[in-house]
Amino acid sequence: MTTTTVHPPDQPTNPPLDPVSDRDLARTPAPSAPHPPGIPFARLIAVELRKMLDTRSGRWLLIAIGVVTIVVVGFVLFASRPQDLTLSTFVTGTATPQTLLLPLLGVLAVTSEWGQRNALVTFTLEPRRLRVMLAKLVGSMVLGTVAIAFAFLIATIGNGLGILLRNGDGSWALGAASIGGVVLSQLLWVAQGIGFGLLFGSTAVAIVSYLTLPTAWAIVGSMVTSLSTVSQWLDLSRAIEPLVAGQMSGISWAHLGVAAGLWVILPILVGSWRMMRREVK
Amino acid sequence: MDHMITVQNLTKRYESFTAVDDISFTLSPGTVTGFLGPNGAGKSTAMRIMTGLTPPTSGTATILGKPYAELPNPGRQVGVLLDASAQHAGRTGREVLALGAMVMGLGKARVDEMLDLVGLTPDEARRRLGHYSLGMRQRLGIAPALLGDPEVLVLDEPANGLDPQGIHWMRGLLKGFAEQGGTVLLSSHLLHEVEVVADQLILIGRGRIVRQGSKAELLAGSGTTANALDRDALVMALQHAGLAADVTPSGSVRSSATTEEVSRAALDAGLVLTELRGADGAGLEEMFLQLTSSDSREGAVA
Repeated sequence: MTTTTVHPPDQPTNPPLDPVSDRDLARTPAPSAPHPPGIPFARLIAVELRKMLDTRSGRWLLIAIGVVTIVVVGFVLFASRPQDLTLSTFVTGTATPQTLLLPLLGVLAVTSEWGQRNALVTFTLEPRRLRVMLAKLVGSMVLGTVAIAFAFLIATIGNGLGILLRNGDGSWALGAASIGGVVLSQLLWVAQGIGFGLLFGSTAVAIVSYLTLPTAWAIVGSMVTSLSTVSQWLDLSRAIEPLVAGQMSGISWAHLGVAAGLWVILPILVGSWRMMRREVK
Repeated sequence: MDHMITVQNLTKRYESFTAVDDISFTLSPGTVTGFLGPNGAGKSTAMRIMTGLTPPTSGTATILGKPYAELPNPGRQVGVLLDASAQHAGRTGREVLALGAMVMGLGKARVDEMLDLVGLTPDEARRRLGHYSLGMRQRLGIAPALLGDPEVLVLDEPANGLDPQGIHWMRGLLKGFAEQGGTVLLSSHLLHEVEVVADQLILIGRGRIVRQGSKAELLAGSGTTANALDRDALVMALQHAGLAADVTPSGSVRSSATTEEVSRAALDAGLVLTELRGADGAGLEEMFLQLTSSDSREGAVA
């Protein structure tokens, strides 16, 4: 073992490099200019995606999402009345567990950095923290999209089996509006997970807040009559209902925009601001 | 580039506590600098500020002429090890390096090279970090720092948890790095870990730089260690001759005078010397203890 592989890349005062080092330079082209290029954003996304998949917690979360999706479709297949077995029913069935689990992708992508103090390494390799955060956002969206696509696939298979096994209705009708609505709503939940992860920093606090805060708000909103109008605007799950159903109108887009602003955009903004200024220890 | 690292009037305050208090130093290419101080002296805080992880209260720190956060692909220019255990325990050693290589835009071959360099077998590299011993973690910890073939290394307690063999290995590694023109800043709370390899020393206590200079400079000023059959008589003889003398914690007599002066004073008093030597590592150790004891938080180095 030698230490000759360790040398500064472009020091004019260097002694002549030995053959081993020359080979190293050829393999890892050291920047000859004093300003090496920065890290491309696509590469950061790829790194963040890999980080979501290379730990047990990340892998098991994805496996859990897949398994739960299959179980739900199986349940719908055998527990529903044959005349209700349509693609739309199956898709709606898969959406429910995914709504609960997908945001965890976002939460974990952010909080695993702090819990394991991995941020120390992440932010020394890319000190522009906002880029890292955006890479995590895009990365978890990509994974979320894969999960949703998987759900559509399983729902399609479920509908096919419904026709074969239970003589189900088997309607394949699924409007573009509902497909888009399901995808958009799930991605909103993923983004909310990112926002809550950024805001609270710890996995446990972020998950508990994510599960309880909007629900608590929804309960208060439905119980107190005077809040009912307000809750149309500020309750995200209520605002998302017409989106999933593919029945968006002008006013419901406005409801959705305001609610998403409060529960998704605001946590991301405040959380990013916190993360940018936070001392990494 | 004259200075690889420049730190100017750097200060970090936490409410009433000042972790780093107006420190300034510069590091030239091809040197190894030991950043020495007791635990809690502010070494780690200073290094986190240098690497852009902690915002300073005032002052500046630049590496390669730029604030760290402005380096486009810092891993390729500065190798950083702040805490070898700050890695996800569920990743394997190889995966940790592969992620680093990916961010820096390096190939797979470089990962194998680094594993080889830090002496992790392919079998060990496949294990999760949670199952690593402290020494293995520390060895692996230095690998991401070297991965990008940087010009500067910033290492916080890199020898912590290494066995004597590992410390020896680390010394060789850092010496080789500096000989190739690289610049190293490494911190330690143990003098003997760095004194062999360091060209320069910066002694820090309670956030302040107590002494800094080349190792030779610091050694030259540190006097004589002596002992005699009758130790108290030696102290009196030295004081009688107008030389400063006191008894060290290890039971020797220390004086700021030269060995010759001490020897003459002993001869005049007719004393038999059992020990007489100019300041060496041990002398520096005592100086280190003295310089930092009044400034360390515990009052004395634990």
